[in-house]
Amino acid sequence: MDRADRRGSGEREASSLEERTTRPGALPGNRYVRIVRPKEFRRGLGGTYVATDEALRSPSAAGRAYDVLRHILFGRPISTELELSERLSVPTGLGVLATDNISSSAYSIEEVMRVLALAGTGALFLTMPIGIAIIVVLGIVIISQTQVIRTYPGGGGSYAVAKHELGTLPGLVVAGSLLIDYVLTVAVSTAAGVDAIGSFVQPVYQHRVFFGVALIALIMLGNLRGVREAGLIFAGPTYVYLLAMLGLILFGAFHIFSGTMPPTAVPPAPFPATGTEALGVFLILRAFASGCAALTGAEAVANGTPTLRPPEARNGVITVLLMGSVYGVVLLGLTFLAAQTHALPDAKEQETIMSVVTRTFVGTGPYYYLVQVSTSLLLILAANTGFTGFPRLASVLADDRFMPRQFSFRGERLAFSVGIVALAVAAGLVLAAFGGSVTNLIPLYTIGVFMAFTLAQSGLVRRWWVRHERGWHWRIAISAIGAFATGATLLIVAFTKFEYGAWMVIVTLPLLVVLLLSIHAHYRSVADALVIEDPDRAQLQVATPIVLVPIARLDLSSLRALAFAVAVSPLVRAVHVATSKESAAAFRARWDSWSGRHLKDGREIPLDVIESPYRALIQPLLKYIDRIDERDPRPITVVLAEFIPRHWWELILHSQTAFRLRWALLFRPNTIVIDVPYHFASVGHQEEPLGREA
Amino acid sequence: MAYKRILVPLAGSAVDPDVVRLAVSIGKAAKAQLLGVHVIEVRWNLPLDAILDAELDHGEGLLAGAARIAAQAGGELETELLQAREAAAAIIDTAHERACDLILLGMPYRRRLGRTYVSRTVEEVYLGAHCAVLAYRQEASQ
Repeated sequence: MDRADRRGSGEREASSLEERTTRPGALPGNRYVRIVRPKEFRRGLGGTYVATDEALRSPSAAGRAYDVLRHILFGRPISTELELSERLSVPTGLGVLATDNISSSAYSIEEVMRVLALAGTGALFLTMPIGIAIIVVLGIVIISQTQVIRTYPGGGGSYAVAKHELGTLPGLVVAGSLLIDYVLTVAVSTAAGVDAIGSFVQPVYQHRVFFGVALIALIMLGNLRGVREAGLIFAGPTYVYLLAMLGLILFGAFHIFSGTMPPTAVPPAPFPATGTEALGVFLILRAFASGCAALTGAEAVANGTPTLRPPEARNGVITVLLMGSVYGVVLLGLTFLAAQTHALPDAKEQETIMSVVTRTFVGTGPYYYLVQVSTSLLLILAANTGFTGFPRLASVLADDRFMPRQFSFRGERLAFSVGIVALAVAAGLVLAAFGGSVTNLIPLYTIGVFMAFTLAQSGLVRRWWVRHERGWHWRIAISAIGAFATGATLLIVAFTKFEYGAWMVIVTLPLLVVLLLSIHAHYRSVADALVIEDPDRAQLQVATPIVLVPIARLDLSSLRALAFAVAVSPLVRAVHVATSKESAAAFRARWDSWSGRHLKDGREIPLDVIESPYRALIQPLLKYIDRIDERDPRPITVVLAEFIPRHWWELILHSQTAFRLRWALLFRPNTIVIDVPYHFASVGHQEEPLGREA
Repeated sequence: MAYKRILVPLAGSAVDPDVVRLAVSIGKAAKAQLLGVHVIEVRWNLPLDAILDAELDHGEGLLAGAARIAAQAGGELETELLQAREAAAAIIDTAHERACDLILLGMPYRRRLGRTYVSRTVEEVYLGAHCAVLAYRQEASQ
């Protein structure tokens, strides 16, 4: 029998938000039915209701003002149905997901040079070979990432690969590594961006922690506006930077090859010609490890593939290949210019090597400022890659119950708001703790991302080996080379940077994994406790509870609570805590004189009066509930009468005993707490108490 | 003449967006109230108040779409779903009950037997309504 027939046969539906009124027509037989729906809900497909904008509108003026402010800051809410239109195209995706990787070109080669310069400026001749080695590793990583995207287009990147192919623990190691690295991405990128501005605006350099934290807050706001809008805001500077860099590289190369190279600019505090350390294998490996910071962000596309428009996998592969190509050209070009000009890094980090190289070729004219400003903008916005990756990875982990579920909720703008705010807070703290110095932060960087690369590639090796999917021979070769190259780099990074701060990541990572496992264990135990094992036998049954009604004084609020208690159960007891013998007697007398203290069957509602000579209210009540509970296996229900004033600020004028008691009973087992509010409307116009007849 | 309350019957045809935009532009000067209605015609073998899920979903969808178009055109369209045996009678009665001073009908361009086809509902509303009726026919090329 379908719903039309059921309705026709006179069977009524359960309560509905839809009201149907039959209207008489002008002529007999022209009756029609008006279907009136509340403005707050519209009918969705399959008989569901969909909350409209009206349902979100705040009833109070203050609430509406807050909504307006929120909409100005974060934009208007976006419907879930529009999720697809919020996806990123390849050009925008490159601007959003590749900024971290591309921007690394602005500082990675400088970090190589700074380490080499410790052995004296003569050691800088190794800059170019190390730069080429980094680009080779980058190529391997990029090809490996295309495999990750093709195999796991659903997002999660290296975490998804490691979890499915190697098991939960390796998956969590990858997840933990990436989470740490995303926090560091934001901190390092912001610090580097502030440094780039500080190269030509001294006050910024002097207050770099403040400016760094402020910038993180700004990027957080941009990201809370949604992925697409953040992409549109942040993609522009990426392209300006790329064009500016390509122009500089071409211009510089022309000067070098035509033999018209201008004199090399000198930073305010160049490294001395004689070094403090010997040029050995360890120092060279350390320089390579520092430069490998350039590879961070290469995993961002694989992790954020679901943010791209369909076909996601194809667009993801195009984006990651474009990212690798563009980045390779810029890094190689910059390294070439720095090596050919024999530019020296600044020992005090007052001027970046990029600034020195640019100054060498174009002076301090408008083009210099274009390069510097676009570089600093890109470095700041590279933090956006962290803001794209961290919340998405956290949401995947939350879906798998390894992180709090709040991380998987999408905000009004379809952004993972909790993850975005958590990342901003964590990155701000890290930035402040390291004084906003890129050099201090760099040693912590890259371990996580190389751990993720290595495990993900190992996972893919296992997959091709076990499943023998089409083309597994060449796939396994690529993944094995990737795993070997990134694993070797990981060992170099961990070994050479250990004493400079990498130990912090190596210590934090296992702790984070334990935390993720603990969260998972909690969710599993909760799920086990709540699961309905046999839905056919599950019944809506509960034993008649013993209802206790604490009463402070006999007034309309207490009467309302008592009336409700009587409606719930015949086993009602009232309890009053008195602070003196006199007040106990007075309450008893008032109770006895009240004619409404009888149950439906004529019995009197039992009253227990507890004298509390030390004037404590909560503790005697809790002990009283404990003793009653000990004597009876039935569930205890505590009905609290709560007086609600007209304005929130009037709450401070009331003792809030009900609130304190509710809080004290929150974790008490076998106890149901019911709050019966009594709303104060206005003097002489108060709510009617619930009559027992009702 | 300034109309204060305009009724726009919506059948879910291709002409609906044009009619909604036209209603917004006609009503803008006098800040007229716009009421979009969709009538679900109930077959005689069912009770008048039968719950017809598919028709309700369709009606809700097209009314929501019309409200969006009105909002994009700078107006506000109040919407209402009706169930009746004959759409024309329900439209005329609703216009009367809601004191509408104009019914704006939309006609998709259709030809039948060599002549431009006017649907029975349009014809009946045109002939039977007490208030003014304006019929908007789509261009032939559309």
